[in-house]
Amino acid sequence: MATSLMCKSLGAACLGLSMACASPVALALADVIETPARATDLAPENLLTDVDRAGDRMVAIGERGHIIFSDDQGQSWTQAEVPVSVTLTSLDFASETHGWAVGHSGVVLHSDDAGESWEVQITGIEAAELAIESQEEAIAEMEEKVEAATGDEKADLEWALDDLYFALENMQADLDIGPVNPFLDVLFLSEQNGFVIGAYGMLFHTSDGGETWSDWSPKLDNSQNFHLNAITEITGGALAIVGEAGQIHVSVDGGQSWERREGPYPGSLFGVIGTGRINEILAFGLRGTLMLSTDLGRSWSMITSGTTATLTDGFSEDDRIVLVGTNGAVLVSGNGGETFRSYIRGDRLGVMSAMPASGMDLLLVGEGGAELTDAKGKNLK
Amino acid sequence: MSNPKHDKGEHYLTTPKAEPFLERLIFNNRAGILIFFLFVTAFLGYNAVKIQPDASFERMIPLEHPYIVNMLEHRDDLQNLGNFVRIAVEAKEGDIFTAEYMETLKQITDEVFYLNGVDRSGLKSLWTSNVRWVEVTEQGFQGGTVIPDSYDGSEVSLEQLRQNVLRSNEVGRLIADNFQSTIVYAPLYETNPETGEPLDYGTFSRELEEKIREKYEGQNPNIDIHIVGFAKKVGDLIEGIGSIAYFAAITIGLTTLLLFWYSRCLTGTLVPILTSIVAVFWQLGTLRLLGYGLDPYSVLVPFLVFAIGISHGVQIVNAMAVEAAKGFDSVTAARLAFRALYIPGMLALISDAFGFLTLFFIEIDVIRDLAIAAGIGVAFVIITNLVMHVLIMSYLGISKGGVRHVQNRGEKQDRKWRTLSYFSHPSVAPISLLIAVIGLGLGLYYKQDLKIGDLDRGAPELRPDSRYNQDNAFIIDNYSTSADVLVVMVKTPKEECTQYDVLRAMDSLQWELQNTPGVQSSASLADVSKIVTKALNEGNWKWFEISRNQTIINASIRNAPSGLINTDCSLTPVLVFLEDHKAETLETVVERVAEFSGKTSNEQHTFLLAAGNAGVEAATNEVISSAKDKMLIMVYGVVSLLCLLTFRSIRAVLCIVVPLGLTSILCEAIMAVSGIGIKVATLPVIALGVGIGVDYGIYIYSKLEKFLLEGKTLQDAYFETLKSTGKAVVFTGVTLGLGVVTWIFSPIKFQADMGFLLFFMFLWNMVGAIWLLPALARFLLRPDRMLAKARAAK
Repeated sequence: MATSLMCKSLGAACLGLSMACASPVALALADVIETPARATDLAPENLLTDVDRAGDRMVAIGERGHIIFSDDQGQSWTQAEVPVSVTLTSLDFASETHGWAVGHSGVVLHSDDAGESWEVQITGIEAAELAIESQEEAIAEMEEKVEAATGDEKADLEWALDDLYFALENMQADLDIGPVNPFLDVLFLSEQNGFVIGAYGMLFHTSDGGETWSDWSPKLDNSQNFHLNAITEITGGALAIVGEAGQIHVSVDGGQSWERREGPYPGSLFGVIGTGRINEILAFGLRGTLMLSTDLGRSWSMITSGTTATLTDGFSEDDRIVLVGTNGAVLVSGNGGETFRSYIRGDRLGVMSAMPASGMDLLLVGEGGAELTDAKGKNLK
Repeated sequence: MSNPKHDKGEHYLTTPKAEPFLERLIFNNRAGILIFFLFVTAFLGYNAVKIQPDASFERMIPLEHPYIVNMLEHRDDLQNLGNFVRIAVEAKEGDIFTAEYMETLKQITDEVFYLNGVDRSGLKSLWTSNVRWVEVTEQGFQGGTVIPDSYDGSEVSLEQLRQNVLRSNEVGRLIADNFQSTIVYAPLYETNPETGEPLDYGTFSRELEEKIREKYEGQNPNIDIHIVGFAKKVGDLIEGIGSIAYFAAITIGLTTLLLFWYSRCLTGTLVPILTSIVAVFWQLGTLRLLGYGLDPYSVLVPFLVFAIGISHGVQIVNAMAVEAAKGFDSVTAARLAFRALYIPGMLALISDAFGFLTLFFIEIDVIRDLAIAAGIGVAFVIITNLVMHVLIMSYLGISKGGVRHVQNRGEKQDRKWRTLSYFSHPSVAPISLLIAVIGLGLGLYYKQDLKIGDLDRGAPELRPDSRYNQDNAFIIDNYSTSADVLVVMVKTPKEECTQYDVLRAMDSLQWELQNTPGVQSSASLADVSKIVTKALNEGNWKWFEISRNQTIINASIRNAPSGLINTDCSLTPVLVFLEDHKAETLETVVERVAEFSGKTSNEQHTFLLAAGNAGVEAATNEVISSAKDKMLIMVYGVVSLLCLLTFRSIRAVLCIVVPLGLTSILCEAIMAVSGIGIKVATLPVIALGVGIGVDYGIYIYSKLEKFLLEGKTLQDAYFETLKSTGKAVVFTGVTLGLGVVTWIFSPIKFQADMGFLLFFMFLWNMVGAIWLLPALARFLLRPDRMLAKARAAK
């Protein structure tokens, strides 16, 4: 009563407040996967997680569903229309026009106009349903095996079956909460054929440009469901995935089957790229860990990175390789990855990804947004 | 339509024939009354001396505004969010990575630790163990105190320190961006948990100066110390109240000189000064007995009371000198002076009081206190300067010199007044009106830029170049921080303040606000959750998101700063850091929040405005802007009504009130031009200016009417008016102006603003009464009709 009287004399500014103190109506914000990203000028200065090229156009993604593109080599940016406002984690263009972006809440977005507009292909709900489906198949299979087995073998299989049940229950509990898990990387080999990977060992594949997806995670040897952090195609056609706890998986048949490789490092790997030479893989991660394999991951050699920063992403272009990481780390190799020189950016903000810009210049994206720099990661301007 | 009081063309106010009852009562008991006054003065004077400075935060804010109601309701939940001091220790040469600097910093940290009022568990500096660096490793986190355990001041350990600082995430918070200063952050207890005593801001602030600033700047010449925080600001304000004593001395000195120049009589100078000071003692003593202290606003009232006392005392001295010149002895002269002046004097004082009372419509306690203090003071002036003054003078009499002075002012004075009387001349008056209209136009034009609220950067209570504001600017320039914080309180059912939906909604609000002009940044539990979730995922920015998984949320906020969650987890704040505290900024932000709150509040979470200094200012601005017009209408209504009752003519009211209106508008224009906003301090000025300013008009018009009714032409009547009362009016304007002009030098910015504006209003109202009133009279008054009416009444 007193409040509403007061409000009358105070005008519109407290209108909302009086509504708030009166009977609360069951209003709420729409879910983040149903809330379009807010148009904002701040997107290029806020957290960006990945960047890719769609023809001559640069496209970058980031927090709050931000997707921005630049047609002048990173000088100025335009914000795309995006139907979700989750943190996006990874981006890949298969052609000049067709690209995919993935992120939290298990969102997979697709653009067919070089990144100007995006639509949702699946969310974590469908992804979880797919995963539950394949889990149920695995359980059915296991139950048959248990049925057929005898003695000690049967007891072991029953244990395994229990594990599967337990995992299934977890998945269902997660799904009750909503689309909880994020995708962490995406790779499209063509406009039809693509992969998304993510938290707790998620791996999905499409062969129709994202119309339908199937759960390919059972093809990986990852029984503990560690996070999968990065996927890439190596010169020569092999595929490589790296992840939590030093995981390295390699496929030489387009992802149909995967082999687990043993690396020399037990900590998390966040990125993997090819060096540009056939079957050469460069994997990197926590505390400046950097390692090179020239035989599709069968053997590895540690490379001195010169930094203790976590390395997150990078690219190779001819003999030049650039890696980036936390605390403003920029690593540059001029000899195809044999040795690196490390630089630290003045602002020490985390760098999430890098891309060649005009000449030898770089476009870096990360904690502080997008930045054009020279070849050593020093800001132009 | 008969009016017996307008009998024989005499004005009933100025020359009542009979010896009134009151006069008889007073003059028949002169000694007894004076002795009684002596006791009252001794008693109230004793109390007045013991009055304490008091800068209570709550009295300066509009307690009934919904924002403030919300803030106070949840004050316990928001504890420690706002009350802290930050002490920046700057290395003048070089950077912080030297053994000497670190040693001084260590000593300062220890010293602050033992200051009374500091919440020791929350104390933060490079030297406290709660400031740590953290690094992600294969095994999880690795970390330690920023100052290495093995620190010994050597090059190696300083290098280690430098590394730790860079990893610590404190750059921009505890450590300046340029590595030339670091902060000692000390949260404060509002009340001492051991003794239960409230924090004494004055003492605390003095200790900061003596034990920290002076001591260590003296000890290590290479450091500068900068201190900011609410407690320091209040301490400086209390300090500022003390300096008012100098202004009082200067004012009294100047007034004495002026009064002597005016009266040329020592008694006629000292007695009004004495009685006016007595009025001040009575006023302060009464305030103390009523339980008030002296806040930075009401400390100015004694000046007003003194000035009003003097301006009325001078009328008595003037009248007594005139009567004495006619040959009356001092008692008779005093009686005649009393008889002539007690009614107009009381009328003027009552109109002053009504002017003050309109301040009551502003729902801010300091302003109401100001109204009470001023009201009491004016009431006492009636006793001290109309009664006590006359009685003392009846014993002492006017000196011969004073009488001679009155007799001597003749020809020269007359010529001066003759010239001024042309203001009422038919060919001068239109020019005056034209100038007034131009002035009005200019005033209205410039007044458009008038802003609500405080406009200066930093602490608006203190001057922009004050030590505090310089320190504040230093910290704003070198650290990622803002001094203007709006706190939105997010209310939820118990134990639900960390739910995903709540964090999500806060995050959305924050992003909405960050996209609002004037907002620098924002912080809440949602940010903590995102940052820690990222950190828990090995520092990978791809995980920078609020998890939907409650277990992860709980883990992410386990070590959240205590101010961000209340004890039963039913309230969590969103801190919005603003670029400034201009009214438009506050309005826009508050509007966005209200809009967002209206759209999204539900039974799970409600967004409540508003705490933080910017929230208080937003509420104050709203109260001020809605009270402003109400107050103007009231004060002009009251003044017009009083004039109408006295002079029974709308034309008379217009003659008196129009010049006041012009002054008010010009005052607002001056405020706009000189960058003074309408705020708690300046709003009362308008009421005070109008309430006191009307006195001139009353004095002048009542004389003018009297002479017109005697059958004089307008210009002659005005000449006579000026001759008899012009000097007293000018003198009143000057004494009132002098009474407030010294405030301009106050270290407290709003006192300076008040002094400046009141000075302008007191003087300009006087000019308006002498210059514009006669010009208006030329157009508005019909002397023949007035005369006819008076004759008909006879």
